[in-house]
Amino acid sequence: MKVFEVNGSSLCLALFVDVTNSKELLDLMQAGTLEPEVALLNALLIPDVFPVLAAAHKTLVAKSRQSLTTKTLHSELVYNYSGSKHISESLKRCGISESSTYILVARFNASADEMTAIEKLIKGREIDLDDLEGRANQSQIQKHYKISSLELGISSVADAIVCRIAARDAL
Amino acid sequence: MEIDADLKQSSLVLINQGAEARVFESIFVGRRSIIKERFSKKYRHPSLDSKLTLKRLNAEARCMTKARRLGVSTPVLYAVDPVLHSLTFEYVEGPSVKEIFLDFGAHGIIEERMDDIATQIGDAIGKLHDGGLVHGDLTTSNMLVRSGTNQLVLIDFGLSFMSTLPEDKAVDLYVLERALLSMHSSCGNVMDLILAAYKKSSKQWSSTLNKLAQVRQRGRKRTMVG
Repeated sequence: MKVFEVNGSSLCLALFVDVTNSKELLDLMQAGTLEPEVALLNALLIPDVFPVLAAAHKTLVAKSRQSLTTKTLHSELVYNYSGSKHISESLKRCGISESSTYILVARFNASADEMTAIEKLIKGREIDLDDLEGRANQSQIQKHYKISSLELGISSVADAIVCRIAARDAL
Repeated sequence: MEIDADLKQSSLVLINQGAEARVFESIFVGRRSIIKERFSKKYRHPSLDSKLTLKRLNAEARCMTKARRLGVSTPVLYAVDPVLHSLTFEYVEGPSVKEIFLDFGAHGIIEERMDDIATQIGDAIGKLHDGGLVHGDLTTSNMLVRSGTNQLVLIDFGLSFMSTLPEDKAVDLYVLERALLSMHSSCGNVMDLILAAYKKSSKQWSSTLNKLAQVRQRGRKRTMVG
């Protein structure tokens, strides 16, 4: 579990493999009773923490202006990470599904109690965030974000994702 | 409250101001960044002003990311703020081509380095033009060379637009040619090197260069007679 400083708030991130209770987590989340409220991201689409931080920055700016597009702060993070304007599709692809086993958990301004609660909530093995790069699914990322090999000649995958997250609303 | 405002100020350092925008240096979630903020023009009607500013802000973000998709290096876009009219992007470490060429003028040309830069410029413009993107403000101060990798990075897409017309592409090249002539005449004929690389890079070089010959005769503005 690691805490990052974003725009005067904090973002707590934890990465889990071999998660066995995705279905339960998904049900709780859809019922709105997930405690504490967290964002659950499909970590296969995350090659680095920086794009998540960029999405978090965007989320906090929207929150401060009370212009969230989705229902909660944490679902907005998943939606922003997707780089697309299609909300349900974003949550489906960048969020978790019943069969997900590899998950990145995020929570804004988590207290110490909430952090331990998160670790109990996810039934899986926590690993280091540095493992993101090696475990990411390159071809799935390229397909979802429509990244051509031409672009990868001058850019890392992570930077290409950041550009899409930032430019989404300008398109 | 005052202390808070001071703290915010200290992370924002003004580094340049032009006619359209102010440029600041800042930190974006731990990375060194540049913020380009378009300010409102008080002489314009407020509703027209906000419409134009927002339109140009979005166009710049689109063109910057479009260029990357075409395989031309530009700074990584970190954030777009439609309320503050600002773009946040990567801080690129390295000198501008203008600085390098002026240094060549003062201390002698390093042929190998100049060839490399000119080739990269021609190649990049060819890729943009074939992708239907016209930069609109190709000057040597809008080109940076990344320290370490010597990769050419194009900046300032504030005047960029999409076009497939040979006319627009030729004017794009002509603006660069004039800029090179006026700033860097001591560097010899860099434009020939750039155009040679452009020919290799752009599939549509022939119609563009034909048009460039016409544009040279009359200048950047078209004569509108009849």
